[in-house]
Amino acid sequence: MSNHYRAIDWNRQKRRYDLVLAAIVLGGAAVFLGVSAWVSPESTAETLILRTTSITSFFLLHVVLAIGPLARLDGRFLPLLYNRRHLGVTLFLLALVHGFLAVFQFHALGDENPLVSLFTAYGRDYAVLQNGRFQIAHFPFEPFGVFALVCLFLLAALSHDFWLRQLGSGLWKSFHLLVYPAYLALVAHVALGILQTERSPVLPLLLGLGFVTIASLHLLAAGQESKRLRASKLLASDGFIEVGTTDGLVEGRARVVIVGSKRLALVRHLDRIYATSNRCRHQGGPLGEGQIVYGCLTCPWHGWNYQPNDGCSPPPFEEIIPTYRVRLEGTKIWVHPVALPLRTSTEGPLVPGANLSTGTTSKL
Amino acid sequence: MSDAFYLGYDDSMPPSLARFLGRVVFGLAFVAVVVVVAVAASQSPAEPGDYGFGVETPFEGVLMEEPIPLLQVGSGAGSITNYVLVGSGKFGLPAFALGHGGKRVHFNGSLIHKGDQQMIELNDEKSFSVVSDQREQRTGVLGMETSLSGELVDTKCYFGVMRPGAGKVHRGCAARCLHGGVPPGLLLRDTAGRSVVVLLSGTDGKKLDFDTEWAARWVKATGRLSVRENLPILEVERLELTEGP
Ligand code: FES
Repeated sequence: MSNHYRAIDWNRQKRRYDLVLAAIVLGGAAVFLGVSAWVSPESTAETLILRTTSITSFFLLHVVLAIGPLARLDGRFLPLLYNRRHLGVTLFLLALVHGFLAVFQFHALGDENPLVSLFTAYGRDYAVLQNGRFQIAHFPFEPFGVFALVCLFLLAALSHDFWLRQLGSGLWKSFHLLVYPAYLALVAHVALGILQTERSPVLPLLLGLGFVTIASLHLLAAGQESKRLRASKLLASDGFIEVGTTDGLVEGRARVVIVGSKRLALVRHLDRIYATSNRCRHQGGPLGEGQIVYGCLTCPWHGWNYQPNDGCSPPPFEEIIPTYRVRLEGTKIWVHPVALPLRTSTEGPLVPGANLSTGTTSKL
Repeated sequence: MSDAFYLGYDDSMPPSLARFLGRVVFGLAFVAVVVVVAVAASQSPAEPGDYGFGVETPFEGVLMEEPIPLLQVGSGAGSITNYVLVGSGKFGLPAFALGHGGKRVHFNGSLIHKGDQQMIELNDEKSFSVVSDQREQRTGVLGMETSLSGELVDTKCYFGVMRPGAGKVHRGCAARCLHGGVPPGLLLRDTAGRSVVVLLSGTDGKKLDFDTEWAARWVKATGRLSVRENLPILEVERLELTEGP
């Protein structure tokens, strides 16, 4: 068995991912420019650049937001999640061009600092109540774009694993939730900006469709997850909790279970059952959705590995996850909710009557 | 979860997964094209206009400073063309041209025009010279009392520097330009989508004093409308903010 745990570098799949990304962005931009030149031949180059960068960037943001729930609903989408940060950085760069050009074109070369003008050029319309009437259509749209751009910048800048290590995966993950306020700000940016100028119903329709798609994917994924993770109720006097049966837990595979208030990963390896923390040390990926690869429980997100018996990554790596005691009664699996001291090696109970190697793809 | 397990650090992925992802990528590209075409096709066409950016043309004529900075250029045949004058960037008539109202001047500038609505950007101070100190007077035309409603635009962008140069997206720029002294205009459209800009001036030959934050908003202007050769001008007695059409 070779040590299969290696640093992530530029490989063929990554290059492919980036090629497809570049093809979609450049192709989309070319189609947009082509149709625009035909529909509105008098548009200036600046207008075309502003619009092309905004449509491509906003489209990519929808893709970024859809990948997460899609991957939870169907594991086959996971490869798209794998290099999602490339999408994020790309869409930030497009948004940056858009923002920079918009500030220059609309606010520079005037009698006020462009960055001040951006917020104050028609500042009185921040008041949504005017002369006793509620008005929102004239509300400045620019600050929403600035807010989103700042969020996207922070996300792109901190997407590197260096920051993941600095901040810890919990903080880093919750920090990335900034993508949601950024998205909502962009919806407002579009609704209060171009939607107030263009009268065609296509834009509001697409904006609404995008929102409904993103929202329903998230709701679906959340619903499916809560169904999957039904909390177990059976508690033995020695503190062990019943978490299900060995049925369906195929050799080399894992499953997420709830033990007390925690999510754990149950894994079957060489017909022994082990329980480990469900949280990958990298970005908190769900180890219970992983598999055994080369004898290690492998995270579905980016492939970090852990030995199921002691939770340690194979040397030279040093990540460790907590492990838990497992007991089998017939086919019923019981797990103790208190983690063992780190690095404790356990010998998981043997599945009764098992005949080894029912796994199909696990590389034993 | 499917049987095929993906390892991002491997050089290849299981074929079944690759097939699935191929279909996903194809679908995504299809959606991208549909969205992009729909958005591009939904744009309302920008109106024609021209901005001779970086192209310097010599002009000579009589400079009028108030109520709207103009250069009146006579042709041999006795007809007059009025060019609205602005500075570079988001500014009105530059300082070097101030105080020469009524004099015959010569300078190089960039032409901006939408149809026969013409404008010159004075961006070359060195080329500016007074040809004759003799001040010419123009008698005002008594216009017809009327009320017009339309979008308040900055004429420089609308005449062709920015296309489109009106609407909410452009509002910050319009406010900036008007604040910088670019002459205000009232954009009127007929039902067939044809448009014309009426220049707005104050009364008594003065500049219009107005709230530049009304840029790109719908306003109702009441005053006397006259036509100076190629330029319609409204001498505004009252300007009010209204809601759109
Ligand atoms: S979260 Fe990245 S490998 Fe687990």
